[in-house]
Amino acid sequence: MINTEGMVAETATKIFTDLCPREVPHAAEAGEYPLALWDALQENGLTLAWTSEDTGGFGAEYDEVFGAIWASAQAASPIPFAETLIANWMLDQAGLAPADGSASFALSGHTPSADIPFGMHADKIVLFDEAHQEISLFDNREAVRSPEEALSPDGMTQFIFSGHVAEQTAKTNLSRRAIEALVLTVRAVQMAASMEAALDLSIGYVSEREQFGRPLSKFQAIQHQLSVAASETAAATMAATQAASALIKHKDDPEKAWHEAAIAKVQIGHSVEAVTVPFHQVHGAMGYTQEYDLHHYTRRLWAWRDALGNEHHWSKLLGEELAATAPDQIWKGVTTGDWTGGERTAS
Amino acid sequence: MQRFNFPVVEPDPALEELRAELQAFLKEELEAGNYRREPECWMSSADPEFSQKMGKRGWIGLTWSSQYGGHDKSALERYIVTEETLHAGAPVGAHWIADRQHAPMLLEHGTEEQKLDILPRIAAGECYFAIGLSEPGAGSDLANVKTKAEKVDGGWKINGQKIWSSGAHICHYMVALLRTSPADGRNRHVGLSQIMVDLNLPGVTIKPIVDLSGDAHFNEVYFEDVIVPDDCLLGDEGGGWKQVTGELAMERSGPERFLSSYVTLETALWQLSGKMGSDSKARLGKLIANLRTLKGMSWGIANLLNQGVSPETEAALVKDLGNRLENDLTQQVRAMLTDLPAEEWSPEMRRILNIGVLRSPPNTLRGGTTEVMRGITARQLGLR
Repeated sequence: MINTEGMVAETATKIFTDLCPREVPHAAEAGEYPLALWDALQENGLTLAWTSEDTGGFGAEYDEVFGAIWASAQAASPIPFAETLIANWMLDQAGLAPADGSASFALSGHTPSADIPFGMHADKIVLFDEAHQEISLFDNREAVRSPEEALSPDGMTQFIFSGHVAEQTAKTNLSRRAIEALVLTVRAVQMAASMEAALDLSIGYVSEREQFGRPLSKFQAIQHQLSVAASETAAATMAATQAASALIKHKDDPEKAWHEAAIAKVQIGHSVEAVTVPFHQVHGAMGYTQEYDLHHYTRRLWAWRDALGNEHHWSKLLGEELAATAPDQIWKGVTTGDWTGGERTAS
Repeated sequence: MQRFNFPVVEPDPALEELRAELQAFLKEELEAGNYRREPECWMSSADPEFSQKMGKRGWIGLTWSSQYGGHDKSALERYIVTEETLHAGAPVGAHWIADRQHAPMLLEHGTEEQKLDILPRIAAGECYFAIGLSEPGAGSDLANVKTKAEKVDGGWKINGQKIWSSGAHICHYMVALLRTSPADGRNRHVGLSQIMVDLNLPGVTIKPIVDLSGDAHFNEVYFEDVIVPDDCLLGDEGGGWKQVTGELAMERSGPERFLSSYVTLETALWQLSGKMGSDSKARLGKLIANLRTLKGMSWGIANLLNQGVSPETEAALVKDLGNRLENDLTQQVRAMLTDLPAEEWSPEMRRILNIGVLRSPPNTLRGGTTEVMRGITARQLGLR
C-alpha cells in the first residue's frame, strides 16, 4: 500500500509543504534549482530511506517510502527525489554504498547511452548493465551530457557511457524485470499522485471561474468530464497501490512483482490521455499558460508514461506474456493478483 | 491523505478453497450439459433448477444466519461465489437479485414471520424477487414514481404500473417503491415507501417485454387494487427514498459490474491459443490491466462494506468504469478474433460473442445510467 501517514511519509510531506510551495516548481523552470528543499530531504535521511542500515541508510518500510514519493509528486517537486531513491535501492541491492548526493539511473542493455531523467541535475548516475549483470555508479559531472527536447520540466539527458570509469561496480543477481518492477511502481505512485493533484486543481478552478453568469462547475458537461477524470484517477490510485503492495510482499524477490507493476504501467499510461484532456479542457486557455500550475502535473504525466517505454509498448509486453499463459492462470491472476502460476501453452 | 481509498486485501486461503469448490461444480455442470455459458448471465440467464442446485450446495444465502436458512458467512464468501458464477457464465439470474438485495432488506425490515417464511426459500434457490423501481415516467428520474399505495384497513391498496422488471414472470415477490403520501411541494423524496408485493395476488398482471434479441426477461407489471397486508411495508413509511438510494449505493461495486462479459474473453483466449498476433496481444495486455485494476477496486470496496463502511463515491466510480469495460471487452475480442479466419471460430465462440454484442446496451443503463453515476460522482466532488 501507499502509506501517507507513517512517520517517514509525514516528515516528507512536511518538508514538501514547507519548502516546495507552488513558486518552487515555477522557479525551477527558470533555472533556479531548489537546493534548500534537496538539503532538507537529505539532512532528514529521506534519500537513504531504501538503503539498508549497515550501509548508512535506515531501511524504511516500503509503504512509507511510497507515501513520501506520493507527497513529492503532489508538490510537483522539481528534484530527483524518486530517482535518488531508485538509484540507491539499485546500489543497495548490489551491496554497494549509496550515492553521495543526488542520483538518477539508467537501464541499459548493450547500448552505451540512455535517457536519464534529471540528467543535468543529478550528482551521480547508477547504471544497470543487463549484458554484464552489473550495477555501476558514475559521477555525472564528468560525463558527456546532452539535454534532450523533453516533455517533462525535469528534463531528459543523453549520457554517453564511453570510456568512463565507474566509481563503484558490482555484479548483481538482480534481473531487469526486478528493476522494472520497482521503477514502474515508483512511477505509478508519482503518476496517480499527480493525477489527483491536477484533479484538485481542476475542481478548484471550475468552482471559481464563471461564464454565462454561473460557475463552470454548474454545467453538466463540465461535471461529467471531471467525473470521468476522477474515475480514471481513482483507478490509477488503485493500480499504483496494488503494484506497491505486490512489491512490498515480494521485496526479497522483486521480480515476482513484475506483473502487477506492468499492469499499473499499462492501466495508468492509458489513462493519462483520459485525464489530461479534460483537465486542460475545463481550464480553457489558462491551463495552457506557463504561469498557471496545471502543466507541472500534465507535462510530468506525459513524460512518465513514456519512461521505460510507453503504454502501448507495455501493453504488448504484458500481452505477450499473457498470450503464453493458460486462460485459467490469467483468471487466477486477475482475481487474486497471483501471477506465479507456471502452466503455459505455446505462444 | 489520498482522495480515493481502496484497501488492498490479500487473497484468503479459505476463500480460495471455496473458489476451487465452485470451479469444480461449475465445470461438472457444464460438462454434463446442464447449462450454456453466456455473458450477462446474472441478469439474462435464469434457470430455477440450476438455482436450486446452488441452494443445495449452500451457495445462496451465504451472508445470513442459519436460523433463517442462511450459512453464517461473510459478504466476502458471497463475492467469491458471484465472481465464479460470472466467470462460468452460469444461469444464476433467477436467484441473483433476491440473494443480493432483497434478503438483506428483509433481514433489516421484515417481520420475524416473514424472515422465517421467505429467507429459507431464497437460500434454497426456490424464491425469487423482482426490483420494482422504474415506471413508464420514472427512469433516471426515479423520484417521479406515481404508483400509489393507499392505506386501507389492515393493509395497503396498490394501483399503478412498474416497468423493466427483470424476471418478474418467474419471481414470487416484488419490492416496489411506491407513493404512500403526496410530495411536499417540490420535495418529491418524501412520501415514498418500499412495499413487498406477492406477485400471485389478485390484481397483479405481468406482461413480458421482448428485447431486441428476442428474449423476454423483463416485464411490465400492473397493479389494480392489489391489497397487501400492513407488514409488507418494509422500513419506514415515507422513508423509501433514503432506503432505496442507500441500497443502490451498496450494489454498484460488485463483480457483476465489470465481469459480466469476461466469459467472452476467456472463450476467445482458448480459441486464439498460440495464434495471437501482436495487435491482439496489446489489446489483451490492456484488457487484463483494466480488469485487474477494477477487481482491486471492487474487492477493496467489498472489504470496506464488510466492515460496515460505505464508500459511496468509490462505488459509483466502479460502476461507471466497470460497465464501460464490459462493453469495451466485447469490442476488443471482436478485434482479436481477426487473427483467426472466421470459418475457424467455434460455434460456441460465435454464439457467446453475438450474445455479448446483443446484451451490451443495458450494461450502462441498469442500476443507474452512466449519466446518473457521473452526476453522483460530480456531487461527491463538490461540483453540484
